[in-house]
Amino acid sequence: MKGPLAQTGILLVGMYVFLKFILPLFTAPLPASLIFLYLALTVAAAMIFYTMSGAGLEEFMGPIGRFLTGEGQKGVATTARVMVFMLFPLLVGWQTYTKLAPSDVPPPENRTIHPAPPGEFVGLSNPFQKTQENIMMGKGLYAAFCSPCHGANFDGKGPASVGFNPPPANFGDPGTIAQLQESYLFWRIKKGGVGLPVEGMPWKSAMPRWEVELPDEWIWKIIMGEYDGAGQSPRTWEEEE
Amino acid sequence: MGRKTLINVTLGTILMTAGFGAAWAVASDPPPDGETSSVAVRLYLTEGSLPTDDLNAAAWNSIQPSEFKLAPQVHWPDRIQEVTVKSVKVRGMHNGRDLAVMLEYDDPSEDVADAAALEFMVGDQKAHFAHGQGMLQVEGGPVNIWYWKKENGKATDMSAKGFKTLRAQERQDVSATGAWQDGTWRVVFSRPLQTGDEADVQITPGEWRNVAFAFWDGQLVDGVEKEKGSQKAVSSWWYIRAEPQPDNSIYGYVVLGIAIAAGFEFFLVRKIRKGNQA
Ligand code: HEC
Repeated sequence: MKGPLAQTGILLVGMYVFLKFILPLFTAPLPASLIFLYLALTVAAAMIFYTMSGAGLEEFMGPIGRFLTGEGQKGVATTARVMVFMLFPLLVGWQTYTKLAPSDVPPPENRTIHPAPPGEFVGLSNPFQKTQENIMMGKGLYAAFCSPCHGANFDGKGPASVGFNPPPANFGDPGTIAQLQESYLFWRIKKGGVGLPVEGMPWKSAMPRWEVELPDEWIWKIIMGEYDGAGQSPRTWEEEE
Repeated sequence: MGRKTLINVTLGTILMTAGFGAAWAVASDPPPDGETSSVAVRLYLTEGSLPTDDLNAAAWNSIQPSEFKLAPQVHWPDRIQEVTVKSVKVRGMHNGRDLAVMLEYDDPSEDVADAAALEFMVGDQKAHFAHGQGMLQVEGGPVNIWYWKKENGKATDMSAKGFKTLRAQERQDVSATGAWQDGTWRVVFSRPLQTGDEADVQITPGEWRNVAFAFWDGQLVDGVEKEKGSQKAVSSWWYIRAEPQPDNSIYGYVVLGIAIAAGFEFFLVRKIRKGNQA
């Protein structure tokens, strides 16, 4: 394919396929608004590139201009032109409707799942040795206090896990405790849902504030039992073994 | 030139249409996985009086209920690990002045200590679903609780801001009736949408509010109520909204949008043509 316009078109399609279908194979899918933004940036970049590279804006815009004015057009092109001319106002009408129509869906709440902890909970290390005995004690405490929600299998599917929005964390999911440090868990367990900052939406969290019931020693041992049971290890600053 | 133009034009059109299509497709993100239960209660707009005393009225049965799962309360002491009520079906309606919400749930036995409650945030301040318990980094507000108990035969309009602060309000604005049949409770709460009482949730059609649920099975086991106080079935916050009056001005804006877009096309083409002539 030749011509700046055609090349840009191919680039756009390629970009879209990459962002929408290939990228999610490796990481979390991008929200629609972000994909749209990237495509818009691609168009802008292409226009700058072609105008700078001597091809001239005329070569880029020329075909579009001729298409819109319909000069010397025949057959398919004419049909296409009419279609585009009809489609655009309809699209605007549709957009207006969807923007204004009352929605049955509650407004989205973008809750930050892992907000920054308060300063005093940064960089604490577990004061207890990772002995078999401590891990066993931690697992026992976990079974008594945490498993009703987080599940005996650490999968967030305990008998009391239903009915909560957000649901109890699934510790087997690589997106929860494997991404966190022990110090962070200590904060979350001690202060619970009500300890979250505003972006964590503390009013919605069913996670109890355990400091009112459990001594620190138990919490540190529960953390050990939790990582061991879920088959995860905490994130460390220096990735030492 | 002619051939090249034609190719470009056709391709441009295809791309434009594909672009529109893609925009449509991406404009709506898919809903999150595993959302089997509802997220919101809808109070349907009706006319005339609400069937608050006729719990089997056709008006109730014609409403598609929302369904919410419930968990045993293990968030704070005294906990309970097993509860009777596992989920609740919720229907609602309003007539622009009053609202009525029906909670329907399974409970094999009818007991005098059976009870049900709705909880709301009050005003714009966020409140924790567990009785508005204090939050550490966010200033929280109070909650408004509508409590119905079989043996009282009526509703109590209550307020709380933190554990052990639950009390009946001076001004009572809520009514409730319950009827048990074949293992199912139907309890209807009703109230004016607006009460003018600062301690109450105010429901304005079209605006989203938060709601949570709680249930107690008052069956006597060895002379003791199976569930009472903090030992109950609970949910956390979900949403509720009274349907707004249909607004026909939307269609006016749609027509206006189409007209502006068509006008834009007209002037764009004219401008390009003029430019080409120059
Ligand atoms: C009443 C149910 C409930 C119980 C009991 C409970 N949790 Fe939670 N927990 C939750 C919910 C809901 C969340 C998700 C919301 C949040 O992050 O606050 C959560 C989140 C967490 C997180 C944060 C995970 C992350 O990825 O950010 C940790 C850690 C945690 N819980 C540990 C525990 C431990 C340890 C116990 C027992 C001592 C426990 N929980 C008991 C409900 C519960």
